[in-house]
Amino acid sequence: MLRLGRQTLTAVDGISFDMRPGEVLALVGESGCGKTKTAEALMGLIPPALGAVRAKRIDLAGRNLATLAEPALRRIRGREISMVFQEPLTALDPVFRVGRQLAAVFRRHRRLGRAEAREASIDMLRLVGIADAGRVLERYPHELSGGMRQRVIIAMAMACRPRVLIADEPTTALDVTTQAQVLEQLTTLARDFGTAILLITHDLGIVAQYADRALVMRRGRIVEDTLVGALFREPGHPYSAELLRATVVVALPPEAGAASGDMAGTR
Amino acid sequence: MLLAERVWNRLRDDRAGMVGLAIVGLFLAVSLAVWLGLAGQGWSAADGGRWEPAGPRHWFGTNVLGQDIFQRAVYSVRTAFEIGLAVALLSTALGAVLGALAGWYSHGWVDGAVVWLKGVLDSIPFYLFVAAVAYALQGQPWAMHVAMIATFWTTTGRLVRAEVMKLKTREFVLAARSIGLPGPLILARHVLPNTLHILLVQATIAFVAAIKTEVILSFLGLGVQDGVSWGLMLAESTQEVLAGHFNNFLAASLMLFALLMGFNLLADALQDAFDPRQGAQ
Repeated sequence: MLRLGRQTLTAVDGISFDMRPGEVLALVGESGCGKTKTAEALMGLIPPALGAVRAKRIDLAGRNLATLAEPALRRIRGREISMVFQEPLTALDPVFRVGRQLAAVFRRHRRLGRAEAREASIDMLRLVGIADAGRVLERYPHELSGGMRQRVIIAMAMACRPRVLIADEPTTALDVTTQAQVLEQLTTLARDFGTAILLITHDLGIVAQYADRALVMRRGRIVEDTLVGALFREPGHPYSAELLRATVVVALPPEAGAASGDMAGTR
Repeated sequence: MLLAERVWNRLRDDRAGMVGLAIVGLFLAVSLAVWLGLAGQGWSAADGGRWEPAGPRHWFGTNVLGQDIFQRAVYSVRTAFEIGLAVALLSTALGAVLGALAGWYSHGWVDGAVVWLKGVLDSIPFYLFVAAVAYALQGQPWAMHVAMIATFWTTTGRLVRAEVMKLKTREFVLAARSIGLPGPLILARHVLPNTLHILLVQATIAFVAAIKTEVILSFLGLGVQDGVSWGLMLAESTQEVLAGHFNNFLAASLMLFALLMGFNLLADALQDAFDPRQGAQ
């Protein structure tokens, strides 16, 4: 429920789903349907001034996050449930070196010393595919490429081997090649750690390639909860079918010559 | 590249800014020399005749009591820096803390209290308020400082509040919360350091304002009680000017003018150098 001045708006209503260790669960839907609000509600990140979460249960390994107080939630955030953001530049503090920000997770949640936290940071960066980790730690966020920054964020989010990772459009800001690499590394790492990923996206191509299951969301409600294969074969809800049809399918003609001829014709 | 490095590179290309920096550096050296007892120590000795003209013994002549005007003007540099530094540092720090709390807890009671206090302070004519506080605390050597710090923080506070309100919606704050950092820690460790550019510029502006205000208050007899300052020299000179002796007046105003000019040039250049919209590299 969101507060807008004196009015309130129910952004997400009556949704219920479960996740299994190591599973990639996609949450798809159009802009403004409540995907991000669902994620923020799960993390307990909606400030009281802006809204309230009226969830009955958010169960994580035997605890109900919906009833936990803020200090207890803080110990869980970043350790058992963590998040990867859409825009990797603004998700890092511009005035500090990347290494200090990554080490902060280890120092806070695993109580490591400075040197140990640095070692752990380097190991973690290697796991997300950064070879010269030692050098990257000395950089400021704006000195890294988008893909590198997102890898650093992923390293921060996965640092404590969380049970659940929420990835809110993690690759929207990246180019297609980097997108594939980052998602590949993320999903592999999650499977190794037994982390369940809630992958929020509007890109059905990504859903088809990386997700095991998909939730289709519309106007704050989940209209379909199905295996990814089934979603593409026979969508169970008219809205899902509509969403699939709205996807741009680039079917390359058999001959390159014909294609260029077509393109010249359309101009 | 480090922020400091980028700012320095841009500052180096700004000729006016570098002139300002040189002037401020020179004054700083003089004030340090006075503080170390290397210059201006004879400021209170009345060892000359009344209103002696400039000469080898008294470089800028003497005042009505036979005190050396040059020595007094030099010693006043220390007075100016003491007041400028104390007021600039403390008023900027106060503005940063109150502004940050107000911005972070915006629309809460903390914010309400800070904004109300700021509104009250800003609505009282500035010199009247400073004079009133200085008058109420008369006899205390810190009266003038307290009065200036109490009013100078408001501009810094307003700017920092707005910047914090902007920064707290940025994703890195959400990201910091998503790894489990408590709010006040995020404010201190990640939000406040991002307002450093505002604090630096505000501190230089407060420095200039403090020196100027000191001169005015001392002139009115509410400022420096024990010692000498350009304001006191100007107060003395009102009588002397009528009698046709301009040395005291000239020495104090020229020194004040040079220092304020230098600081203004530097503050302007700093503001430009910190502005991310200028000359993106």
